[in-house]
Amino acid sequence: MKLLVSLNVNGQSYDLALAPHRTLLDVLREDVGLTGTKRGCDDGDCGACTVLVDGAPITSCMMLAVDAQGKAITTIEGLAVNGKLHPLQRAFIDHGALQCGFCTPGMILTAKYLLDENPHPTDEEIREGLAGNLCRCTGYVQILEAVEACRDGKVAAPQEAQ
Amino acid sequence: MTQEFKVVGKSLPRVDAFAKVTGQAQFTVDVSLPGMLVGKILRSPHPHARIVSIDTSAAESLPGVKAVITGRDTTDMRFAFVDTPRYPADQNALAQDKVRYIGDEVAAVAAVDAETAQAALDLIRVEYEILPAVFDPFEAMRPDAPKVHETEHEGTSIWEQWGAQKTSTSRANEKVNNVSGRTIITYGDVDAAFASAHHIREDHFETSATAHCALEPHAAVAHLDPSGKLHLWLSSMGIYYKRYVIAKVLKMPTSQIHVHKAYVGGAFGGKMDVYPYEICAAVLSQKAGRPVKIELTRQEVFTTTRLRFPTYIDIKTAVSADGRILGQHIRTVVNNGAYRGTGPVVIFLFHGWTAPVYRVDNMRYEGVSVWTNSPVGGPQRGHGAPQIRFAIDSQLDMIAEDLGLDPSEVMLKNVRQIGDVLPNGDVLKSCGLTDCISQAVNVSGWKGKRGRPGSNRLARANGTKRRGVGISTTTMISGAPYYPFASAGIVQLHDDGRATLLTGVVEMGQGSETTLAQVTAEVLGLRLEDIHVVSGDTEQTPVDMGSFLSGGATVTGDAIRLAAVDAKRQLLEIASERLDALVEELEVGEGRVCVRGRPDRCMSISEVVRLSIKETGNPIIGHGFRKILSGTDHYPSLAKGTGRWTDAYGFNAQVAEVEVDTETGLVKLLRATTFHDCGQPLNPQIVEGQVNGCVSTGQGQALLEQIVYDKGRVVNSTFLDYRLPTTMDTPETAGGSVESFEPAGPFGAKEVGEGVVAQTLAAIANAVYDAVGIRITSLPITPDKVLAALAEKKQTA
Repeated sequence: MKLLVSLNVNGQSYDLALAPHRTLLDVLREDVGLTGTKRGCDDGDCGACTVLVDGAPITSCMMLAVDAQGKAITTIEGLAVNGKLHPLQRAFIDHGALQCGFCTPGMILTAKYLLDENPHPTDEEIREGLAGNLCRCTGYVQILEAVEACRDGKVAAPQEAQ
Repeated sequence: MTQEFKVVGKSLPRVDAFAKVTGQAQFTVDVSLPGMLVGKILRSPHPHARIVSIDTSAAESLPGVKAVITGRDTTDMRFAFVDTPRYPADQNALAQDKVRYIGDEVAAVAAVDAETAQAALDLIRVEYEILPAVFDPFEAMRPDAPKVHETEHEGTSIWEQWGAQKTSTSRANEKVNNVSGRTIITYGDVDAAFASAHHIREDHFETSATAHCALEPHAAVAHLDPSGKLHLWLSSMGIYYKRYVIAKVLKMPTSQIHVHKAYVGGAFGGKMDVYPYEICAAVLSQKAGRPVKIELTRQEVFTTTRLRFPTYIDIKTAVSADGRILGQHIRTVVNNGAYRGTGPVVIFLFHGWTAPVYRVDNMRYEGVSVWTNSPVGGPQRGHGAPQIRFAIDSQLDMIAEDLGLDPSEVMLKNVRQIGDVLPNGDVLKSCGLTDCISQAVNVSGWKGKRGRPGSNRLARANGTKRRGVGISTTTMISGAPYYPFASAGIVQLHDDGRATLLTGVVEMGQGSETTLAQVTAEVLGLRLEDIHVVSGDTEQTPVDMGSFLSGGATVTGDAIRLAAVDAKRQLLEIASERLDALVEELEVGEGRVCVRGRPDRCMSISEVVRLSIKETGNPIIGHGFRKILSGTDHYPSLAKGTGRWTDAYGFNAQVAEVEVDTETGLVKLLRATTFHDCGQPLNPQIVEGQVNGCVSTGQGQALLEQIVYDKGRVVNSTFLDYRLPTTMDTPETAGGSVESFEPAGPFGAKEVGEGVVAQTLAAIANAVYDAVGIRITSLPITPDKVLAALAEKKQTA
């Protein structure tokens, strides 16, 4: 049995016929065709599949797609506007805050929520805010630096060649 | 030796960064092909059992199932990382007669979707005859222990056409049960060294199995097209290595296999070996006539894609009164798990990470790897270095205490220097160990923070929290001879004055695409953004040794430099005619070729390329190649440790500062001060990222991480139960590169991404001792171990 579901992803509407047990993660990747959202564990433990649902970070492997109907879903593909990177995306590039890139989409979206909710977080609040997103490559040092560079509404200037 | 660079040595943004922050970077799991099926693997629930029968009929008749395979479809598909006459390959794509660990591959299916594939697995009936199992390597070596591998395979090798001997003159595992590999290395006169020693210590250390935890679960997409060509997308660290092994297993010509480009979501050693699921994807695709994707679950990744070898180490060391190491006797035993994998390699490497750090003239090293019915061990960032450096530098700390000396000074007395020749003949043409230690000591505030030997540490500090510092050092090769031995690069210029770099390297996070583009831009006088990188595709890029053995900067980097130099040579030859100047008088920069010192006599590179195409048809394509240890065509001996191994070693030293809570037993890493000798850093920001990642992984292995087994079953196969460091654990980091230049590498560069992980373990263990006076000799240093040791200390005090 499939249900007719309309999902709003990155401001676009997708009409889909979905089996009710399918997760938002699977539907985003397989039916909507947006593979920027990553499956790291399928258990809700690693944060790689984080998307924003009505602005709040959700591990999309733990949410049924049918439950996302009527909500605004933002994936990593929806963060840049008209080809202009979000300040966090810019900061991740400038600070070398990514290596393999597999945790990066979830990490950036979690950081976006963190700064949207609290534009002036302390270092400790940034650590706590990102604690649910695992990264094995970076040791988090440059990720924390990138997010710190974006607090207080700062927009990182493009890095100049040294 | 300081050189002025325009692009190399700068913290320029990664060339893959835009794709990765926007979700556009394509990993293997993101590949979707028309008609693609989902593949899944049926795995053994038993640690050791004979397969009596397999009935796949119900699975095959389930609607939506397109192929089912068992060991009958893979009878002659035997493979292994170590595949030599002495150590014949011992793993099959699917179990033949019996299963040897929980997770062993038994059958595989391909179906129209994941649910159908799972339902098909549930319908496969396997009848097992349970066999007695053995999990402990010491028990496994007893004569009456169950044999994990009952029959010895014939001593053949898939590497014969590359010069491997057809037969071995000796077998490693004669007499002793379940021994999968053995290394014995001796030099000097160990007995005399011990006889003349001022002080001798003998200690035992143990390390746990740990998981790689790359965020991308392993995946493979296989498509055998109607023409007979096999297309693969793989989670790999070296496309040419995997292509060769898969070609041999499938009995296909190597060039009939096309490994396509895919970004790899972290590897750390766990994506080096060829795995049964990769072979299964290819066989399923052949049988179904459609593309097949296999994506492992996180639980499968934890249990079936190799773990760091759990290791038991005994070290006996003889020193002089001033702390110089006179002789050393090291014995190691690793739990190899059910298949050999790299077991015989890691026991060789334990010595390999010993000899380049401290000069020890009299050595007896014995290593044994042992089959058990446990998950398989394998390479993991540092491959053996964390285990052996933990043991050696923990013991050196203890020796320094015994002698009333500062351990950093004991290290300085023993470390290797430039020009040293190692016992196997490797020459240290660069070696910044002394600088690494001195700077780590200075910048960390070591002398002020350290408790003096013999002082009552528990009395220092108030409340329940005590701080301490510890130091450790390590090394890593910059590439070694292993198939495909060499790296090659192609640099093609375009008529707009830009260039495309073709390299077989796999970008798995280490930043090769960026650093190699920087090397290319530096040689050609272009900007980083002028270089387009095509990487990791066997039909589009030339051979590359792969992103393991830490040869990326030195071997691949130099191949790319030579390719750019070749393109530049052609460019200058054409320009010299038009500019009416000798080639030697020309220079490149800012996209132009100019007569040196004559800015009025220039041509843009774009103009030169157009001229070349117009006049001769030459579009200007440079090529370069590089091999580690050129002139040698043999591997070093795994069994004896003889034979040269690499051209260059990276070095590191680290001071860790910890806080131990004596009430909870919790150890927190506060600060890691790391100095490394990676020669000339190609991109300091990328180097910093490698170091930070290593510190974090080392911290995890020192304090948090441990795969827990229960009779061969991995108990903690989720990220919730297997704790790796999060942002809450990130220490303050300090340090940097020491001044160094490696003549073997491009612009003086060498390894940095792997060695650093190894020293954090002893640095932390030594810091815990400095803080509270307890010596933890088995990793990880968990709160219960700390509390037990504190209680014992109190009792004996």
